[in-house]
Formats: sequence, C-alpha cells, structure tokens
Amino acid sequence: MTLITLDTKSWAAGLTAAADAYRLFGPVREDACHTFKALEKGKTPDLDMVNTRLSPKALIFPQSDIILEYSLDESREDHHIMREVQKDVTPRAVVGIRPCDAKATALVKLNFDAPDVKDPYWLAAYEATTFVGVACDAPLSTCFCTTAGCGPYSEEGLDILVMQKGDGFLAKILTDKGRAFAKAAGWNPASGDLAAFEAGKAAAEKKMVSAVQTDHLEAADLLALHNAPFWEKTAFACLNCGTCTFSCPTCWCFDLQDEVAGKSGVRLKNWDSCMFPIFTVHTTGHNPRETKVQRVRQRFMHKLKYFVDKYKTGIMCVGCGRCVRQCPVNIDIRKVCEEMNRFNPADACAVRD
Amino acid sequence: MSDWEPKIVSFFCNWCTYGAADLAGVSRFEHPANTRVIRVPCSGRISPKFILSAFMNGADGVWVSGCHPGDCHYIEGNYYARRKFALFKNLIEYMGIEPGRLHFSWISSAESTKYVQVITDVINAVKALGPNQQFVKNKAKVA
Amino acid sequence: MSGYTEKMRDIARRLLETGAVDMVIGFRKGSLPMMNEPCFVTRADDAHCLVWDGHCGINLANYLTDRKEKIAVFAKGCDARNMVTHVIENKIKREQLHIVGVPCTGMIDKRKISAMTKGEVLAVTETDDAVTVTTAGGDQRFDRADVMQQNCALCVHRNPVIYDDLLADPVTEQTIPDRYADIRKIEAMDAASKWQFFEDLLAPCIRCYACRNACPLCYCPTCFVDEAKPQWVGKGQDATDIRTFHFLRAFHCAGRCTDCGACERACPMGINMRLLTRKLEKDCQSEFGWEAGMDPNQRPALDVYKTNDPETFIK
Repeated sequence: MTLITLDTKSWAAGLTAAADAYRLFGPVREDACHTFKALEKGKTPDLDMVNTRLSPKALIFPQSDIILEYSLDESREDHHIMREVQKDVTPRAVVGIRPCDAKATALVKLNFDAPDVKDPYWLAAYEATTFVGVACDAPLSTCFCTTAGCGPYSEEGLDILVMQKGDGFLAKILTDKGRAFAKAAGWNPASGDLAAFEAGKAAAEKKMVSAVQTDHLEAADLLALHNAPFWEKTAFACLNCGTCTFSCPTCWCFDLQDEVAGKSGVRLKNWDSCMFPIFTVHTTGHNPRETKVQRVRQRFMHKLKYFVDKYKTGIMCVGCGRCVRQCPVNIDIRKVCEEMNRFNPADACAVRD
Repeated sequence: MSDWEPKIVSFFCNWCTYGAADLAGVSRFEHPANTRVIRVPCSGRISPKFILSAFMNGADGVWVSGCHPGDCHYIEGNYYARRKFALFKNLIEYMGIEPGRLHFSWISSAESTKYVQVITDVINAVKALGPNQQFVKNKAKVA
Repeated sequence: MSGYTEKMRDIARRLLETGAVDMVIGFRKGSLPMMNEPCFVTRADDAHCLVWDGHCGINLANYLTDRKEKIAVFAKGCDARNMVTHVIENKIKREQLHIVGVPCTGMIDKRKISAMTKGEVLAVTETDDAVTVTTAGGDQRFDRADVMQQNCALCVHRNPVIYDDLLADPVTEQTIPDRYADIRKIEAMDAASKWQFFEDLLAPCIRCYACRNACPLCYCPTCFVDEAKPQWVGKGQDATDIRTFHFLRAFHCAGRCTDCGACERACPMGINMRLLTRKLEKDCQSEFGWEAGMDPNQRPALDVYKTNDPETFIK
C-alpha cells in the first residue's frame, strides 16, 4: 500500500497525462444531476456531487450491449454463424467512482465471474478498467453503506482510493492496476499520512444517519420468509416500474434479444428487471411470478436472502440509497429489510397485519 | 438521388380502395407503382402500430385508404378510424415527421380514376421529401 | 389543504367501523421528505396512519384496477376524473367505490424544490400558500405557486367531478388563459426542429416504464412493448424504439388522459412526457370538443363519432 499527496494541479495534470494511456470516465454535471460519462480531454471529474442518479455499472455492464452479430444472407459463406463483435477493450479508468459503487462492482463480479460460468463481455470490460474511487465525505440522509457491508471509505473493488484533503488530495494505491495508473499519471508515490485517512473515515462514518439491520437474515427460514404475511402490504404501492433495479448498482439481471434488420442481425444483452411482468416468462407461456406481490418479493428476497444464503458475503446491496430516493411511490428497502430481519414465523399467525 | 424511388406501404380496405386498385389495373390505367399494398378488412382495423411499424421498417411513406363515410361495409368502422387518424396524424407530425409522408383517403371500389390520381399524388409527395430518415430503425451499432 | 388529514382519518374510521367498505386506499407518511406512500387500511384502528399534504401526487385510481372489494378512496380532481374513466371502461364498478372527494390546491413538485435548494432537502413543511424547505444550511421559504407541479398550475378541475363524501368546501377553480402555450410553441416549429426537440427530450429515457406504470390508464394485461409475436418495438436503447414507445404510450391515452401528472412525477429521469399526452388532450378538445373523465354517462372520444367529424386531412 502506497500513499501519495496531490495538490489540485498535480491531480489535474496527472489525469491529463493518464488520458494518453487510458480512456477516462467520471461524473459530469448535466442539468441538475451528475452522470458518469467519458471525460473530455483535459477535463477533471466533477467531484462536487451527491450520488449520481444512475450508478456507473453501465460502464462495465451497458444497458444494451451487442454481443454477437450474424448474417442471414445465404450467398455468404458465413451465413447463420454467430460472430463475436470487436469491442474497444483498451485500458480505461473510472475516476471519481464512489466506494459504494465500487463495492457493488465486486458483488456483480460474483455473478459474471463465477468459478463455473464466466461472462466474457463483462469480464473483458472489467479487466480493462481501473477504478479510481473518491471517498465520500458528505453522505446523504438516505445512505446506509456502513451497515450494508460497505462504507464511505471502503476499499473493496477499488484500485486507488482518493480522499479530498484541504485543497488537495490524498491517494492510497491499493492494487497493481492502481500502481500502473499512478505511474501513467506521473504521481510520485510514498508521501502522505495514513492517519489522515483514518480520521477522514471516522468523520465520514459519523455523518451516516441511516442504517439497516441484517443480522437475522441468514438464519431466517427461507420458506417462512417467502410466505411471510407482510409482502402484500409491502408490495401494495409498487407500480412495477424498473426504476429501483435500473438505478441499482448491484442488479445484474439481463435479457438476450435478437434484432434483425434486412439480412443482418445482432444479439443484444439488455438489462432486465424482476419488476417487469415478462421477467423470466417461460416459452410455454408459464410465468413463475405472475403477480406484483411475487415480483416485489423476488427483488427483496434476492437481495436480502437468496444472495445472503448463496454467497455468504452479506446482502446484495451496498446502501447507496438510489432506489430509496428514486422510487416514485416510496418503497424503502431499509423498511423492508427491517421487516424481513425481525420476522419471526412464530409470531406470524398472532399478528393481525 | 435521381434514381431513387420511394417505398410506400399502403393499407387498403378490402371493400373499396382495394377494389379500386384492382379496377384501375383491369382498366389498364397507368400509374407509378411504388406501393406495397396490404389488404385489411376495414380502415377501422388500422392500428397506430401498423403505421409506425411500416416507418420503422424503412417505408418512406404510408398511405391508408378506406370507404367514404356512410359507405362502411361494417356500417361505422371508418367513422371510428377517422377520429383515430386525425389524432394520429397530428401527433406524428408534432413529433417531427414531415406532413407529406402519411396520407389518408376515401376511395370507393368504383373510383379507379380517383385511385390513380391519389396514388400519383402520394408518390409525388413522398418523392419530393426524399428517403425517410425518421422513425426508421437501423441495425444496431457496436458501441 | 391543512386539516384534511384529520377529516380523512375520521371518515376512514367511520366507513371501516360501520362495515360500509372493506378497505380504504390513501397515503401514509413517507420515509423521505416530499414522498408519501400509497397504502390501504382495513381496520379502523389503523386509520391514524393516513395523511394528506402536497406530496400526494400519485394517482390513486391506479390502485383500483380490477379490484373486487368495496373500497373507499381519496380523490383529487384529476383522480376523480380517472375514476370516472375506470368506471366507463369497466375496470371497477361505481357501486364498489366510496369516493371521498379532496378539493385540491395543487401538488408540490419535488424536482423543482430540489433544483431550487442548495444541499440535500431534509424536511419540507407547508401552509396554504408557502412551502418551507429545511437543509443542513438552514431554511428556505418558497411561494407555493412557484413550486407547484406544472400540471397543477394548469389545472382547471381541482374539485372532484364525482364523490360520495367531500372532505371540504370546493376550492375556487383556476382560470388559465392559455393552457397549451408550450404545445403551440412546438407545433410552430418546422419538422426538423420538432424531431430534434423530441430527440433531446427523450434522450435520458432508461425505459423503466415508470411513466406507463404510474398511469391509471395503462392496465393492458400485456403492454405492446412486452409483446413478442409480433414484437412491435425492440427492447434495447435504440432511439427509434424509445420514441415509438413514448408515441404509442401517449396515443393509448388519447381522449382518456386527465393530465394528473403521475407519469412525469414518477419518471426517475425527469422527462416531461406530458408534452405528448397534452398535445392529444388539446386536439381532443379542439377536434371533438372532448374532455376526459367529466361524465360517467359519456363514452370516451375514440369510442364514439359524429358524421361530421373533421376530415380535411383525408383526400
């Protein structure tokens, strides 16, 4: 682990230098909100931001991604043969990603980089990417990262963690990828004060006002939780839109679609959402989750129970609070988590609602 | 560009315009032939999705033609269609499609001369606009 | 609208105690400022959780579709018009409904408030004519009229058109000289500018379908965007697919939309898709003299015709 102290000038100059070797992405202000976008040459990411509306997961896992292409023209020798498309997987860096979103990438990796199955598209993009995170000193009232297995200074999933300190920055190099980026940026290693990091971390964590309790989730009986009586009330307001899942940095479900124009076709990998009525509908027409209540339950059970049981690494949520802030009808994962965590099947018949 | 010929998708009611087109053919009237005719049971059968699909799939113009008001084979199908078309045409032009790309007409099965007149007008109007660039869905490109 | 909450709870309690209804649909206090959560109450003891303030913009007619119970529901002017539409379209029976009319003075636009406030909004309080926003940096006060949802600022039916109970005396209706100035501005553009305008308007769309799902009119068992045979629109982020979705969504609401604003309010990306539905609302008025949801005994605009309907656009 190496520390580097940077003033504003060397921060900007370093990013400009790094831009020769990396395609840079970072938060950019658009109207009233921030969005992760490719940074124009010479531009630094706008760090004066609250969490972006959409997470940066699309940089690795685009909402709609062409993975294969083919021709239906039978005069061609390679007709009806799927070909992998060539993508730009030259090195890139996401500068200004929040620790919560970086941790989310690490969670998504569990799915796309499993021991038995690997998603080559996701992995190629992931491996090409260096994550330069900026610690979060101003959490929102809806952030609950510290109790969601993460934190404002969490390092998981990051290659470099940068904290803003006075007029400058203090960078902590965490991995080889991070070291390579620092070298490309011409940042001079080994100067800086680790205690400042600890102090910043403690101060930021103290600002967190929101929390979830997850201690009983793993021990809870899966079927009892699945059949718990509270789901109808929890799901009542839900509109079954995809806002929560699309804004979530950890939601990884996707759908494959073929699109043909004339005689040439492509296969697309699109974000899917468990909120949608056609999510996982079988070709027989059978729909395993036909009702709204079943779909809402699927989302929360996946994040807070199935994932917990399967991977034993905590919940599939990093506490970024996006779904809480953006749900049009105020369905709040913190409240649902509380309900699930305190659920005791023995009480279920005694409680009237 | 001078060689360019527009592709026009025409939805004709089985009971009138389709017959008029047939009659124009048997009568050996000459007219440009840029239309792909789709026979429908009534202009009331036309869903906005049909028209948008035609544009999405590369039609340069769309033409819908049915029976004169009062002459509907199903008594009132074209009356309902007329309301739908009025709103549809306004909305699609409001979203930026050129007015000359979408045409509606009432042509009875006896009006083969009107048919020839309208098809000529429709094709000329679309030709004047050039190829359709709007609402066309092109093959997805690799990012 | 101050004092509505207490009256609502009383009415809910009475209706549930006497067994006049099986459930009451209303709002409960949200977990965030400027958010309330639609909820149902089945026991008189729980009526105390009901609230009403300037953040009840979600249209409760949306929660009535195909329900079988006898239901009491709170309805602003726009909501009541959607309930009329629901009854006309057989999505619920009038006898099943006990409509508690809520004379409305407009809902607060949470996006406007966030944009006008420096820092995170921590709390919002309101009176009949002012809204006070609390942030870490102190309080900011706004005129209610300046932070109202645009559809509410343009509303001319604030009082419910049908009701079984009225929560308070009717409020004065607004007179708006030109409700469609913004629509006319777009109409006046040339085709290329119009195209570009909607290209920009719809660019942020992520196809979460919040606009569709927040709308009480969108109750098709399978929406056209979800159909596979034939597949009318692709499912990716193609601009033509996105535009087609918005076009057809709006068109399906033609002659039915009451401009309740639920779609725009629900959109996580802040897209004003009401520019499409309001164009249709305007045309329904000018072409057919029709206003949606005003009378349970009248069929909607696209379900009737006149022999002399306008047809100058037809050759």
